[in-house]
Amino acid sequence: MTLPLMLVVNILIVAVLGLLAKYVKVGSAETTAGGFNFNYTTSDLIILAVIGAIAGVVNTGTGIVWNAANAAGGPLAGAALQGVFMWAYLLAFFLVRKPGSMLIIGLIETTMEALLGNPSGISTIGWGITQGIGAEAVMAFVVYGNFGWWAFALAGAAASQFGTTWTAWLFGWDSTPEIVSAYWTATPINLISGFIFSGLLGWWLGKTVERTGLLRTTRKK
Amino acid sequence: MSENTLQYIDNNSIFHRVDALSKLGWVLIVVIFTFQFQSAEARGIMLASLLMCALLFARIPITAILRASPLIFGVAFLLGIFHLFITPGINTLFSLGPLTATQEGLTKGLEFFFRLAIMVMASFMLIWTTDIRELMVGLVHLGIPYRYAFAIFMALRFLPIVQQEVDAVKAAHAIRGRASSSPVRHRFRLWQRYLFTVIVNGLRKAESTALAIESRGFGAFPDRTYVKDFRWTFLGIVLMFLFIILGTWLIFWERHLF
Repeated sequence: MTLPLMLVVNILIVAVLGLLAKYVKVGSAETTAGGFNFNYTTSDLIILAVIGAIAGVVNTGTGIVWNAANAAGGPLAGAALQGVFMWAYLLAFFLVRKPGSMLIIGLIETTMEALLGNPSGISTIGWGITQGIGAEAVMAFVVYGNFGWWAFALAGAAASQFGTTWTAWLFGWDSTPEIVSAYWTATPINLISGFIFSGLLGWWLGKTVERTGLLRTTRKK
Repeated sequence: MSENTLQYIDNNSIFHRVDALSKLGWVLIVVIFTFQFQSAEARGIMLASLLMCALLFARIPITAILRASPLIFGVAFLLGIFHLFITPGINTLFSLGPLTATQEGLTKGLEFFFRLAIMVMASFMLIWTTDIRELMVGLVHLGIPYRYAFAIFMALRFLPIVQQEVDAVKAAHAIRGRASSSPVRHRFRLWQRYLFTVIVNGLRKAESTALAIESRGFGAFPDRTYVKDFRWTFLGIVLMFLFIILGTWLIFWERHLF
C-alpha cells in the first residue's frame, strides 16, 4: 500500500505547489493570456528536439552519478541532485509557451539519455513522463500564462518531487519502513533542488536567451 | 563525449530482422514477467536467456556487452547491495562494521539486482538491434501523429551535432587557458558558459532547419510517406510468443504448479 500512498501524497504536493503558483504573487511576473493551445508549429517541434538533444547530452553524465548515488545510498543520497535534470523542461516551456511542451521535452530528453547509455535503460523514460507531468500540472494551475521566476521555480520543484514516484517504484523504496522514512525526509531536499536547479535555472536560461534576440522569429505573434 | 556509448550494431542477425514494434513489445513482455517472478532462480534464468539471445541470435559482439556491462550491471549491483544491508531480518549472514546482511536482505537484494539488470539488458538489446527511426515509423503506424514522432527523429539527428559542439566549446575554452582542475565555483561558471553557447547555437540551427523543412512542405498533409514503411514480421510474433511461454513456464516452475 505504500507506493499508492506515495503517489497520492506526491499528487497533493504538486497540487499545493500549483495553488501557490496561482494565488501567491512573489515579485513581478510576465503574464500572457495563456490557454490550452496545442497547435505546435514546426519551429516549436524543432526547438523541442534541439533542447531535448542538448539536455540528453548534458544530463547523461549526471544521470550516471545520480543513479549510482540513489541505488547505493537510497532516497537521501541522490536528493540534492534530483533537481538538476529538469532545467530543459522549463527552458523549453519558456521558449515554446504551449501546454504539453514540458511533457514532450521530458520524453525526448529521456529517450536521448537512454540511447546515450543511462544505466536505467529504457526505464529512464518513466522519469521523463513523471517529471513532465509534475511541471505541467503546476503550469496548468496558472493556465500556462505565468512566466515569472516564482511559477517556474515551483514547477521545477513539482517536477523534481513527482519524478521520485518513479524512482520509488523502480528502486523499491517502499520495501522497508526505514527507506520510506528516508524517502519522506528527502522530500524537502528534492523540492529545494528542483526549485533552484530546474526552475530558477530554466527560467534564467530562458530570460538570457530572450535577451539575445533569438526568439524574435518564434514570437512573431 | 563525441561517441555514443550505445549504438545500433548493423549485422543482419535474426534479431535485427524482427520488426521494431515487436521488439518493443518483447521488452515490455520481459519486464512484466520479471516483475511477476518471486524467486532469484527464475529471474536468473530470464537474465541468462537474454544474454544467450544477445550473443547467439542478435550476434552482439561480446566486447560490446563487456563494455556496456558497468552500465547494465553497475547500478543494479549497487541497488542489490543497498537492499542487502537495509532489509531487516532474523537470519544473519555476516556483518561489516555497523552493517548486517541477512538472508532476507540477500533475497531482496537479488530481487532488485535482477529486476534492474534484466530491464536494462533488454532495453540495451533493443537499442543495439533497432534503428530508432524504424521504431518511430512503427509508432506512427500505431497512431502517433507524425509531426510529434518527427521531433524524436530531429533530436536523433541533432545528437551528434550537439556532442561535437560541446567538445568544440570545451576545446575553445581549453586553448584560452581555463584550468580543468579549477575550483567548483569556477567550474560551475564554465559549465554555464558551455551550456549557454550550445543552446544559442542549437536554437539558431533549429530556426534554419524549421524554415528548410517547411519550405519542402512538411506538415502540409495529414499523412506522410517514408523511405522504409513499417511491416509486422513473423519473426517478431515468434519472439514475443517464445518469451511469453518462457515467462509462463518460469512462473509455474518457481511456484511448483506443475
